[in-house]
Amino acid sequence: MSFELLIDILIATVPLMLIFATVFAFTTWLERKALARIQNRIGPNKVGIPCTRIGLFGLGQPTADGIKMIFKENIVPTGADRLFHLLAPILALIPSMLVLCFLPLDFPWLNENSVKAFLLDGAVIFFFAITGLNTLAVFMAGWASRNKYSLLGGMRAVAQMISYEIPLVLSAVIVVMMVGSLDAAEIAGEQKGGNWFVFYPWGFAAFVIFFIAALAETNRSPFDLPEAESEIIAGYFTEYSGFKFALFFLAEYIAMFAISGLAVTLFLGGGDGPGLAVLPWLSVIWFLAKIFALIAVMIWLRGTLPRLRVDQLMGFAWKFMLPLSILNIFVAGFAWHAKQLDSQFIMVITWVISLAVLYGAASGLNQLNRGKVRPREYKYAE
Amino acid sequence: MNEEISFWILSAIAVLGALVAVRKRNLIHGVFALLVFFAGLSGLFLLLLAEFIAAVQVLVYIGAVGVLLLFAIMLTERVAGDDDRRMISRGWSWGLLAAAAVFVVLLLRPIQQLPSQDAAQPIKPSVEALGHKLINPYVVTLEVLALLLTAALIGAVTAAQGLSMPKEEDSPE
Repeated sequence: MSFELLIDILIATVPLMLIFATVFAFTTWLERKALARIQNRIGPNKVGIPCTRIGLFGLGQPTADGIKMIFKENIVPTGADRLFHLLAPILALIPSMLVLCFLPLDFPWLNENSVKAFLLDGAVIFFFAITGLNTLAVFMAGWASRNKYSLLGGMRAVAQMISYEIPLVLSAVIVVMMVGSLDAAEIAGEQKGGNWFVFYPWGFAAFVIFFIAALAETNRSPFDLPEAESEIIAGYFTEYSGFKFALFFLAEYIAMFAISGLAVTLFLGGGDGPGLAVLPWLSVIWFLAKIFALIAVMIWLRGTLPRLRVDQLMGFAWKFMLPLSILNIFVAGFAWHAKQLDSQFIMVITWVISLAVLYGAASGLNQLNRGKVRPREYKYAE
Repeated sequence: MNEEISFWILSAIAVLGALVAVRKRNLIHGVFALLVFFAGLSGLFLLLLAEFIAAVQVLVYIGAVGVLLLFAIMLTERVAGDDDRRMISRGWSWGLLAAAAVFVVLLLRPIQQLPSQDAAQPIKPSVEALGHKLINPYVVTLEVLALLLTAALIGAVTAAQGLSMPKEEDSPE
């Protein structure tokens, strides 16, 4: 292996890790501030420049958290499987970091000849394959802790992630159908000039399904049953402390960035935005800005929505999202064929029909499911 | 040269994973070792420029089969395994003999006859070609497979439902 190649590889991969790890730190700060604002608190506001009383809105909080995490004692329960207890946070972090490579981020220091981090024909399918590994890490953590709450959390996580992976992939299928490629860069290129898939009825429905399923995949509220503090004491990472806990935290946020990045690539036009003709490097800025917009929505939802119940969670995935996303594939297929006819009139009719069908299906499914979900019966408490 | 190093590393990972998977008493450890083996195999596919097979290897074997195995193991007793039970059964020498016979009789000749190709030929991206192949000449096979899987799915649901009648509401006692 030549030295230049090594340098090229480092240039392609190291910025990804550095950027997203730095952004992670400040996302935690942002999340705490935003949640505090929603809950009528102030949030972190003390930690700023050391040895002074300058608070800087608590911007030093991530650094303080990091220092605390590193120096905290690493506690492993007596009955735990020591090897797996150590491996689980690492296994959680690797897939989340790895999938960042599939995002079509055009960094200005990369040119035509430089090594791309991972340029694959089937980037989208690889993305889903590798994010699936997160499930195993969560299960590993839950099992290795030898704690019933951890195991419950792990089992919940596996059940939830398997269920929501199906609507997630099926809604991505629509974009793959429309573009005719699994290549992330080609999908993003197809949406140049404001032709984003989210602006079509089928694309919008797919985007909403994708986003909800992504929330469930990353264990974000309102789908945070695997780590429900009030029910199973933080679930699979109950027995984790110190830096291993920090690794789980990091993995969760990186996974959020990655899946938001995929949503941006598939539905929100990738790096598309105004001003690209003048300044091409703006595309990275636009890409990251869109990821941040999605993250902000996630934080907002966390501050607003209560947690789902387990039966509601499964019912929602299998009885609402799955039928709707399959129907959406049919709608998108018809729309694709209508587009081939190249007629303005037919396109308008397709829009109207697909809007009607999708809206009708969503409200119909809602009505069908409504009767089944009964109010909770308390067996052991009155 | 790079490919050769990668090949040996990945093969070592795969073989070690397979060995640990067979030898471990602890079932969960065994499953994870098996997953390491699958991951090594997926890397080998990637080395052969078969991206799609590599992705499917990860998606199906690690993602689906692995989780299925874990679920099944969670329902069994004594996950940690018995220490006093022998891992090697008595007739192991016959098994070794059979394996050697299969290798010599069936596999050795084709391996020797393989044309020695250049390691990395420039190949057109394979996923697109595979997609065309699946939809054009092999569409009937694909549909039949889909039908078979659907039948299996419905069968599994029926088997899981069992013969139990829909239960009456639990009356409060």
